[in-house]
Amino acid sequence: MKGDFREKFGRGLVLGGAWTVLAFLILPMVVIFPVSVTDQYYLSMPKDGISLAHYAAFFTNEIWLSATAQSVIIATCSTIFAVILGSLCAIGCWRLSTGLSESVRTFMLIPIIVPTIVQALAMYRFWIDLGIIDTYVGVILAHTLVAIPYVIITVSASLANFDLRQEQAARSLGASMPQTIRWVIVPSILPGVLSGALFAFTISFDEIVMVLFITSRAIYTLPKRIWNGIEDHLDPTIAAVATMLIAVTLALLLLDLWTRHRRQQRLRAAAAEE
Amino acid sequence: MAETALASRPEPQSRASHSLSIRSLSKYYGSLAAVDDVSLEVRQGRFLTLLGPSGSGKTTILMATAGFVQPSAGEILLDDKPITNLPPDKRNFGMVFQGYALFPHMSVEDNIWFPLRVRGVSKSAAAKSVATSLELVQMAHLAKRLPTQLSGGQQQRVALARALVFQPDLLLLDEPLSALDKKLRADLQWELKSLHARLGTTFIYVTHDQEEALSMSDEIVILRDGKIEQQGDPVALYERPATRFVADFLGKSNFIRGQSAGGDAQGFRVKAGEVTLHQAGSQAADQPVLIALRPEKLSVTRARPDLPNAIPGRIAAFNYYGSTFHLQVETGALGDLIVTVPAWKCEIDPAIGNEVWLGWEPDASVVVRDN
Ligand SMILES: Nc1ncnc2c1ncn2[C@@H]1O[C@H](COP(=O)(O)OP(=O)(O)OP(=O)(O)O)[C@@H](O)[C@H]1O
Ligand SMILES: [Mg+2]
Repeated sequence: MKGDFREKFGRGLVLGGAWTVLAFLILPMVVIFPVSVTDQYYLSMPKDGISLAHYAAFFTNEIWLSATAQSVIIATCSTIFAVILGSLCAIGCWRLSTGLSESVRTFMLIPIIVPTIVQALAMYRFWIDLGIIDTYVGVILAHTLVAIPYVIITVSASLANFDLRQEQAARSLGASMPQTIRWVIVPSILPGVLSGALFAFTISFDEIVMVLFITSRAIYTLPKRIWNGIEDHLDPTIAAVATMLIAVTLALLLLDLWTRHRRQQRLRAAAAEE
Repeated sequence: MAETALASRPEPQSRASHSLSIRSLSKYYGSLAAVDDVSLEVRQGRFLTLLGPSGSGKTTILMATAGFVQPSAGEILLDDKPITNLPPDKRNFGMVFQGYALFPHMSVEDNIWFPLRVRGVSKSAAAKSVATSLELVQMAHLAKRLPTQLSGGQQQRVALARALVFQPDLLLLDEPLSALDKKLRADLQWELKSLHARLGTTFIYVTHDQEEALSMSDEIVILRDGKIEQQGDPVALYERPATRFVADFLGKSNFIRGQSAGGDAQGFRVKAGEVTLHQAGSQAADQPVLIALRPEKLSVTRARPDLPNAIPGRIAAFNYYGSTFHLQVETGALGDLIVTVPAWKCEIDPAIGNEVWLGWEPDASVVVRDN
């Protein structure tokens, strides 16, 4: 009896804790939505009714649209570079799997450990010398560098499940190393590569510290625009932008889940066919 | 059953058969010699089996042949052309791996298309070869499936079809059947053997299963600690093992230690304790000898048999295997001897404690080197 009570109490405690944390994570996102439909001209809850004016403002304002375009360009480019470089690094280290390649892999994770502000400062100094301050190249390079470790982590994780004999099988069947990478290794580790790409895109899309350091007038990414918006005049358009970002992220997540579900169904259907 | 099914299947294009020479091959891992000065000739069209316990270097030899292991020393030649430094994809050897190593993201037919695809053959152009290969292994009806949707035996067939579709110069197989259950393994042994006979391709087969080696091979190479212990055709190896290791590893053997005493043209005598045995062959007197005696070559009778070698004993244990009884007989003078008798014509009552006579002909046993 006593043990039973303790067990229930313990479970209640754990569940309560979990829900609290969840609420903590989700509430800010939930709050942002009513703010985005406020009828006021500053960041606040709706007063006399709701209005979509701030959404309209986003889509008609050249400044917001260009910031979005810039962010998409930068995130797309740095995702492409980070995925290619990170995957190759992970494959290379996995393929060699010597003590040295292990330390290379650890070394590549440093950008995650070093505080962003320190990196940003270093890049600022260095980018000036390179003459790429406040350019697309500079930002894309910086974001590629911070995203690479995430790609290495996700790709290495899926490589750990890859059977080396598959590579040997491909080679014995006559495939050169590039053919083996393209037709056997990459398709097998594609889930890892895709989640690495997702990480890379998100990281670049909402990165602000470095952008503040290494850009001035020419480059205005979306986070930087939001930041400036808050500083200048607490424009509720910020809340509208934030809400749309959350919606897009959610849509992507659901899409991912849906395709996965579809794939599994297709597999089951194929199995049931005979 | 498997054989009749094979006979009706289409004949693939005949291919030229090739021979392989391995000359003084060694592979060191640090101070460990995984393969130690091994020389082998595999004649064209042969089915050669590398047999040995775990860690004896079988896989290492096969991987060196396939090009995945760089030898520390020695040479490998295909039809007298050195291939030691050729990368694996330039060797044109088919290989079947222990875990099948099918590509999980490709359907069965795409797996089989793969070797043709890397050779620049489009899927439509390869369709006929792929279909022929699939029929060769009776898998045509499952062409659209993914490997994860196949049983172990079916995966094995696909792996085989994939390794054969590009008409390799040599087929290398590393314990291809070890993950399958006993019944399926036996079926696939038949199929592999008749496939080999029909294709005429040179097969190099690795296993640690002695029955598999005996039933399938033209020639068996027994490996021990990276060295060749003995090689020959299955019957020669089974009937005339040269060493204690071979007599013990290939089938079962009873071992009797003794001292040679004089003999004649028929054979010589061996003193084992108070017992004198008759052994075929010749041996100088007063030498220590080790005799290996197969359990199935002993006769078990109630009365003393009319054989040159006969010894009484008592049944200490027995196991029933359906087709055979395995008896453990205490003989005192020669220690415990294992005997197998066909269960359907067992003349004695196999109960523990029963007194029996064991007997054998002088040429039923062989003298082996102790090692
Ligand atoms: N890459 C390696 N590094 C170090 N030692 C190795 C390596 N590969 C094999 N060995 C060693 O070489 C010896 C022979 O290995 P091999 O795999 O050829 O044995 P095997 O006969 O195939 O055994 P099994 O029946 O267990 O597959 C073993 O002692 C093994 O530990
Ligand atoms: Mg092995």
